[in-house]
Amino acid sequence: MASLVGAFAASHGPLIVREWDNVPPAQKKRMAEGFRELGRRVAATEPDVLIAVSPDHWSNFFLDNVPSICVGVGEVNEGPPEPWMKAFPHREIPGHAGLGMHLVKTALAQGFEPSYSHRLKLDHGICIPLWRMEMEKLPRIVPILLNSIEEPMPSLARCAEWGRLLRRAIESYPEPLRVAILGTGGLSHSIGEKTMGAIYEDFDQETIRRFGGAEQELIRYLDEKLPTHGNGSEEVRNWLVAHAAAGSRGFELVDYVPVPKVIVGCAFAAWRV
Amino acid sequence: MRDYWLSKLFFDLQSPALAAQFRADPQAVLKNYPLEERVKRAVLEHDAPFLAQRTNAYLLRYYFFTIGMKDAEFVQRLNG
Repeated sequence: MASLVGAFAASHGPLIVREWDNVPPAQKKRMAEGFRELGRRVAATEPDVLIAVSPDHWSNFFLDNVPSICVGVGEVNEGPPEPWMKAFPHREIPGHAGLGMHLVKTALAQGFEPSYSHRLKLDHGICIPLWRMEMEKLPRIVPILLNSIEEPMPSLARCAEWGRLLRRAIESYPEPLRVAILGTGGLSHSIGEKTMGAIYEDFDQETIRRFGGAEQELIRYLDEKLPTHGNGSEEVRNWLVAHAAAGSRGFELVDYVPVPKVIVGCAFAAWRV
Repeated sequence: MRDYWLSKLFFDLQSPALAAQFRADPQAVLKNYPLEERVKRAVLEHDAPFLAQRTNAYLLRYYFFTIGMKDAEFVQRLNG
């Protein structure tokens, strides 16, 4: 049987690439080290497959079809389509069709109705963390694109249910795969809104603190605060998936560093599974 | 609300080839999208608050990035 060997989360954001050279040295060092440390920890779990949970930033989907959740079941994923991600070293990233389809079938059997795709583009949401984590060898990637950029979005409670579902699905997959989960995005940031550039440190710190408490209280807090703390903060959904998959027992904060130059409250987290 | 064709324009402008064409001759690109005149005008005049009511915030940001507007001016316009 497969097993869940780790759950992690990291921020992403286009300016982490586009403004990288202009970030003040002290913040850049902490951000770089946060990503690298997370990369070391992911690598230490020796994953065969990494399930990467992230929004689609209008790279695969448009208003014609906005899936709440789409599971990548392809043998191959495409690299990032954004022109400014050209230097990312992988144009194709192997997937794991067997595990991907098992996730979909398990979901359908248990009252969840995901969309699925045999070929997804992995945009900066997934590829910036993979890049900055500087892992020598990438595991196979099963992407799960969770809508957190266009209303209406999946409820926070449902995202937590998805985390638990993923764990059940992983643990019922017949091959002895080592599987890790990486949630990406958040914490606070604001994109294309009047508040663009704002980082809400108090919200970020309180969110981090509440991940260590009862899941219901965390969700209640986020439900109340997300609408007024930047649309990018909605990506904390992906953290909730990783959190619930790991048993909702809180994470070890690798680092939190608000970086105005990249307009993101950057955080890096590792759960014990 | 979502203006489908306005959003489609911004979505399509993620393509570097179309973005280059748009920067060179926006009218030539706009004629392929059935936009209301007032929406077309808002695109050409960079009327961020008007456009913000009609599309996704990420797509809006992509558009202003594509035409080369600095974030600071974009935010200033949004709040104008």
